[in-house]
Amino acid sequence: MESIELKEVSKSFKGTPILENINLKIEEGDVLGIIGQSGSGKTTLLNLIGGFLEPTDGEVVYYSKVEKQALDLNKNLNKIKKYIGFNPQHTSFYPKLTVKENLLHFGQMYRLKKETLLTNANSLLEFTRLEKHQKKLADQLSGGMQRRLDLACSLVHKPKFLVLDEPTSDLDFILQEEIGHLIQEVNKQGVTIVVASHHLDFLEKICNKIAILHEGKLKSYGNIGNVQKPFFKEDIVINIKVKEDKEKIIKILKTLPVKKIVDQGHQLIVYPENPEKTMLALLQAVKKEDLYLYDVDLRKPSLNEIFTKVTKGYKVEE
Amino acid sequence: MRSLWLLIKKNLLILIRAKSSALIVIFAPLLIILILGLSFNNSAKYGLNIGVCSDSFTADVDSVVTSLQEEEFKIVKYEKSLEGCIEDIKLGFVHTCISLPESFQIEGNAQKEITFYVDPSKINLVWMVQNTLQEKLNLKAREISEGLTSEILTKLSDTKTKVGLENDRVEVVKTSNTQALGSIATSQAGLLGLDLAGPTAEYDVSITNTFKSNISTSLNAGLAKVNDAQEALDDANISSSDKSPISSLLAQAETNLDQAAALVNNGSGGINAIVALVASMEADLTAAKNKLVAASGQIDSTTASLESTKASLDTAVSSLNEIKNALEGIKTNLEAQKVTEAGVISQPLVTHIEPVAPRSTHLNYLFSGLIVLVIMFSSLLLGTTLVMMEKHSPAFVRNYFLPVKKITFILSIYFTNLILGLIQVVIIMGIALIFLPNFYTAIPLMALVLFLATSVFTFLGMAVGYIFNSEDTSVLGSISLGSLLLFFSGLILPLESISPAIRKITYYNPFVIAEKLVREIFIFNTPITAVWLDLVFLTAYAVVLFLIITIFESIIHQHLINKYLRHHHKLHRENDKKKTGV
Repeated sequence: MESIELKEVSKSFKGTPILENINLKIEEGDVLGIIGQSGSGKTTLLNLIGGFLEPTDGEVVYYSKVEKQALDLNKNLNKIKKYIGFNPQHTSFYPKLTVKENLLHFGQMYRLKKETLLTNANSLLEFTRLEKHQKKLADQLSGGMQRRLDLACSLVHKPKFLVLDEPTSDLDFILQEEIGHLIQEVNKQGVTIVVASHHLDFLEKICNKIAILHEGKLKSYGNIGNVQKPFFKEDIVINIKVKEDKEKIIKILKTLPVKKIVDQGHQLIVYPENPEKTMLALLQAVKKEDLYLYDVDLRKPSLNEIFTKVTKGYKVEE
Repeated sequence: MRSLWLLIKKNLLILIRAKSSALIVIFAPLLIILILGLSFNNSAKYGLNIGVCSDSFTADVDSVVTSLQEEEFKIVKYEKSLEGCIEDIKLGFVHTCISLPESFQIEGNAQKEITFYVDPSKINLVWMVQNTLQEKLNLKAREISEGLTSEILTKLSDTKTKVGLENDRVEVVKTSNTQALGSIATSQAGLLGLDLAGPTAEYDVSITNTFKSNISTSLNAGLAKVNDAQEALDDANISSSDKSPISSLLAQAETNLDQAAALVNNGSGGINAIVALVASMEADLTAAKNKLVAASGQIDSTTASLESTKASLDTAVSSLNEIKNALEGIKTNLEAQKVTEAGVISQPLVTHIEPVAPRSTHLNYLFSGLIVLVIMFSSLLLGTTLVMMEKHSPAFVRNYFLPVKKITFILSIYFTNLILGLIQVVIIMGIALIFLPNFYTAIPLMALVLFLATSVFTFLGMAVGYIFNSEDTSVLGSISLGSLLLFFSGLILPLESISPAIRKITYYNPFVIAEKLVREIFIFNTPITAVWLDLVFLTAYAVVLFLIITIFESIIHQHLINKYLRHHHKLHRENDKKKTGV
C-alpha cells in the first residue's frame, strides 16, 4: 500500500520552531485535509510532504508498492518525485503557453510516451472541462479555469499522491464546489490527496481524514468522525415558546440523569450525563405529554466549531 | 514639503533594505568609479609594446630604442625580421613595428625613412601610437637637423675667417699693382722723351772709302817694300856694290811713297777733303753719341722702373696664388657639404605609416568590435532575462517536481540563448556580407569564435541572473557588467592607456579576447594554429562559468524554492487576512 508517514517530524527556521513532533500517516485512498490558522505550519507540513523541505528532526517516509520498500522521502526524492503531484498556493504553469501546451510540456518532462501523454492530456482536458479552451494562453483563463489547469498539470503524469495547498483560495463558492468535485473525482481514480485549506466547509465535504494544526503542533488527526468525537456537545439547548410547557419540560428533565439545568427564559441549557440517551428520553416524554418545543439542538460539531475550539485552547482528550 | 521629505525617506529606506537594489544603485556606481579611477588615474605613459626592426642594431638604432624605453615602452627587437614583427602585430603581441635605418647619418640629399607598421583595425590605437612615437622621432629628427645645420654654419664660419685673411692679401696685390702702374707710367714717359733723331747731312762715303783705300794701299805697298828691302839688305851678306841695286829699289820705294804724299796733299780727292769730311762726320757722330748716352740713361732708368714693376707683379702673383689656394680650400670645404637640399636639412627623417592589413573601409575595422559588442550585450541580457524568467515563472515550483536534472534546466537556458544569439549572428553576418564581400573565407573559424563568445557571455548573464533577485536589478547588473567589460575592452579607450596593473587584468577580459580573435580572423585571416591559445581561453571561460553556475545553482536552488514558496505563501496569507480577517 502506498503511503506517506511523518515520524516525529519537526521543522524550524533559524531556530524558530514551525512544526513540532508531527506524526501522521497518509494512506492510499485518503483525502487528508490539513487545517490550521495562518502561521500554524500547514504549508510547511505540505512542503515537507512534497519534499521541498527537509525536516529538522524526524523523517518523512514513503512506502512504495513499486519500490517495495520504505524510502526516506528527502533522500530518495528523485525516485519518488514521479509519484507525487504538487499544487502550490499559486498557479504553477507557464502563462504564455496554451492550456494544452502546458499539459504536454509537463507530461513530456515526465518522459511519458507520446500516446500515453496525449491520452492523459485529452482526458484531463475533458475531466477539467478545458477542452474548449485548450488553445487559449494560460494567462487568458479565468481564475477557476486556471485552478483546473493547475490541477490538470499536477495530474498529467498520473501521480499516486496529490498535494494541494489552498486549491480554493480566491475562488467563489461555486468554483470551490467545482474544485471540490474534481478532487473527489481524482480521489476516486485512486489518487491519494493531501489538501490544506482555510475553507473548512469545503474540507469537511471532501476529506475522510483531518489533521488540525495549531501553533506548530498536531492537535487532532484521524478520520473525520474520530476528530469530531471529542468535540461533540455536552449540553442540550432547548428553545421554548410557551411558558407553561417550560415548567413541564423542567419536571421531565429532572427525572432524567441530568447534571444541571440552566433556565435562560425561553431557553433551557441542559447538562446531561449522557446527551444522546437524555435527548431520546426527552423527545419521548415531550411526545407523550404533547408539549411544544420550538428547537432542540444536539448536532455533531462542524469543523469550523472544532477548529474554533481548538484554537481557543480546547483540550482534546485522546 | 514634509510629505515630500517623507516620501524621499521612504524611497531611500526601501532602496537600502532591498539588498540587491542597494548594491546596484549605491555601490555599483562607487565600485565602477573606483575601478575606473584606479585604471585610468595614471600618467600619459602608454603601455605599448613596440617592435623595432632594423638590419642591425647600431648605436643610432639603440639610441632610439633607449629613448623609447625611457618612455616605459616595452621594446621588442627584430633584427632583419620585419615580417616577424608584422605577424606579431597581427597576433597582438606588439602594437606597432618601427622599421628604422641602420644609421641616421644623412649622406647626400636622401632623407632617412622610418616606417610605422600599425594595425588599422585598432583605430584609436593607431593614432595614439602615431602621435606618441612621432613626437619621439621628431625629437630625433630635430637633433639630426640641428647637426646638419651646425655643420653648414661651421663651414660658413671657416669660409668667413679665410676670406677675411685673404682680404689682406688682396690689399697687398692691390698696392703692388698700383706701384707697378706708377713704374710703368714713369718708364713710358721716359721712353717717350728719348730723342732718337739721326744726322740729316748727306755724306760722300765713297770718296772717303776710295781715298782711304788708295792711301792704305800705297802706304801699305810702300811700307811693305821698304820693309822687304830693309830686311833683305840687312840680311844680305854682300858688298856694298851689290847693295847698290838694292839702294835703287829703295829709291823707287821712296818714289812711291812720294807719290802717296802727293795724293794726300791733293785738294779734291785729297786728304783735306777727307779731313773735312771726317770732321763733319765727327760732329755728327758726337751729337749722335750724346743722344745715345741720354738714351742709355733713359734705358737704365726704365730698366729700374721695370725691375720695380716686376717685383710688384711678382708679389701680386704670389698673393694671387695664395688667394687661389685659399679659394680652392674653401671650395673643397664647401664641396664637402653633402647635404644641400633644404628639405633634407629641415626634415632629415621621414616617417611613413604602413597598415599591416589591406586598406579598407572603417566598417571592416569596426566590424570585429561591433559584432562582439552585439553578442556580448544580447547574450548577457538574454542570459539574465531567461534565468529571471525561469526563476520568476509561476511554474518554478512545479519544475522542482519534474524528474529533470537541474543541469538540464541550465543547459536549456544556455541553448535557448545560443540559438537566439546565433540567429542574431547569422543576421548580422548576412548583412555584413553585403558590405564586406571578402568575408566568406573567415566564416568557419569566425563561427567557432562567435559560438564560444556567445557561450561565455551567456553564462555570465546567467550568473548575474542567478545572483540577483529582481528582474530590474539583474538587468541593471547585466548592463553594468557589459558596460564594464566594454569600458575595459579598448573599444572606447585604448587598453594601453590603463594603469599597468589593471591593464594586465583587462587582457583576460572575455570581450578583449573575443574581439581580438574576431579581428585577427576577419582582418588578417589568421589561421587557427595562431589563435588556438585565445580559443582555449574562451573555452576555459565558458567551462568554468558553466561549472560555477551549476554549483551555485545547486547550492541556491533549494533556497530559491523555499524563498519562492515563502513569498507566495506570505502573499496568500495577506490576501486571506484582507478577505476573512482571520
